[in-house]
Amino acid sequence: MAKIDQLNETEQDILEIIKTVPDPEVNVNIVDLGLIYEVAHNEEDKQINVIMTLSARGCPVGDTILQHVQTVISNMYPGYYVDVDLVWEPQWTPALITDDGRAQLDGGF
Amino acid sequence: MQAGLSTKNAPSPKVVLPHYAYGALAFIAAAIMMFFAGGDIASTFMTPKVLSIAHVMILGWITMIIFGALYQLIPVVMEVRLFSEKLAMASFITLGLGTPLMAYSFWVDFIGASHAMITGGGLVIISVLMFVVNVFGSASKTENKTIENRFIATSVVWLLLTVLLGLSIVLFPNILANGSFQIHIHLGIIGWFMMLVVGVASTLMPMFFIAHQLNKKCLERAYILINAGLVVLVATMFFDLGQYAKIGAGVVILMGFMMFFKYNLSAYKKRLRRNLDIGMKLSVLAFILFALTMLTGFLSAFGSLIGVEFLTRINLTYGISLIYGFLTALILGQMYKTLPFIVWLKLYQDKVGKFKTPLPADMHSEEVAQAHYFFFIAGFGLLMAGVWLQEALLIQASAAFMLLTALLYGYNTYKILIHKQQLKPLVMPKIKPRPRPVVKKD
Repeated sequence: MAKIDQLNETEQDILEIIKTVPDPEVNVNIVDLGLIYEVAHNEEDKQINVIMTLSARGCPVGDTILQHVQTVISNMYPGYYVDVDLVWEPQWTPALITDDGRAQLDGGF
Repeated sequence: MQAGLSTKNAPSPKVVLPHYAYGALAFIAAAIMMFFAGGDIASTFMTPKVLSIAHVMILGWITMIIFGALYQLIPVVMEVRLFSEKLAMASFITLGLGTPLMAYSFWVDFIGASHAMITGGGLVIISVLMFVVNVFGSASKTENKTIENRFIATSVVWLLLTVLLGLSIVLFPNILANGSFQIHIHLGIIGWFMMLVVGVASTLMPMFFIAHQLNKKCLERAYILINAGLVVLVATMFFDLGQYAKIGAGVVILMGFMMFFKYNLSAYKKRLRRNLDIGMKLSVLAFILFALTMLTGFLSAFGSLIGVEFLTRINLTYGISLIYGFLTALILGQMYKTLPFIVWLKLYQDKVGKFKTPLPADMHSEEVAQAHYFFFIAGFGLLMAGVWLQEALLIQASAAFMLLTALLYGYNTYKILIHKQQLKPLVMPKIKPRPRPVVKKD
């Protein structure tokens, strides 16, 4: 698995696809929120793995966000097995939010 | 995908949504009733009509919404399925039927053991018993023994005591001599409402503010102080231990609330979302009004030491700032943070990634929400002015603004509840085809 700052080109593409997934509560994409930890693309085994977290265990739309990630990747990579793994360690902190993410949060409503 | 997610435990929307719908109607009804009771509030304070409005607000609006929200929230905070959805539906029906019966009995000047009161009160107690069983049945399965969950579980115990005492007051009115009415009010306000709000708000507010690394010791201290203070307060009222004992208990409870206030103030200061949406604006307003509740609640403990006329106004301000102020504003605000998500999940959970879907925040009218935010402030301000100047016209003016608030809030609640699915084609980023790596064969 490759950490978010060590992705190859295909994994970067996958990350761009994941960027279309917003957290519905704040309307900021989950990549800029720092929720994606690792992405792996395996051409030979036709497999894509994503390791991600959520900002709070109590996130009411957590399941839907995971589903959304799986669906958008599967749509763009038909024939691939897509696995989205939810972890709680390392614990998410606001420090993981990107500058773009902070700008979107500050923009607010 | 792994376990540990709240949504897989979420109850059916048909369990939760009726609570929000009923609550909105009860809020409208209470605002209408205020038109006819303005004179009572201005002059004589605790008349049967005022009691009627208080019970519509407390049971029909606040408790009803809390029940619904908790049925949705318990899977979130306790990470277990709700013990029984059938019990939840049954408790909704009984509370929904019992409240208007009780309110009617109060309204027609009958606070004794009328058929309506006995039936209504009995239905409310049955509803509460079912709710208690549901909460404890769920809590017993959780491994999540956090301080927030302890607040919720404890509040339910106080709720049970509140309603049992309430019905006892009606059936055995001679026990009023032991300050039972005052005990009933404080068990309900502090034990049920405030304990629950502390538990739930302390979970939700940091989440919605996106605030981290908060000091939970504040909540631990709040738990001990509020419970201990309430036990002492009830004892002082029951055994008539005098004003100074009451003041002491009031100080302890106040310190507990200040710990809760401090925790949420810390969340507010550490928030990542600088601009507040309407839900959080109303919630912050609620805490400002809570400061007024704390001050007047504390002054109320001084009792007759501060003069009867002043005390009446203080007591009214205490009660109103809590029920019409803090709790109402908090519910108004938190509706926008919860109800849209319940409806959104119902309509769009299996559509994400396949279509472009609206956001939960797109389901209500922002203009209507902003309007009722200002109408609410105007209504509350006029109510306070009416109480302190003892002017019935001001209270009726307040009722007009409260009715506008209730109607606009009801409109947005309804708009969210009847939201129809809106799907648009999804536009995805164009991905350049990457050359496949060439595998050399020997």
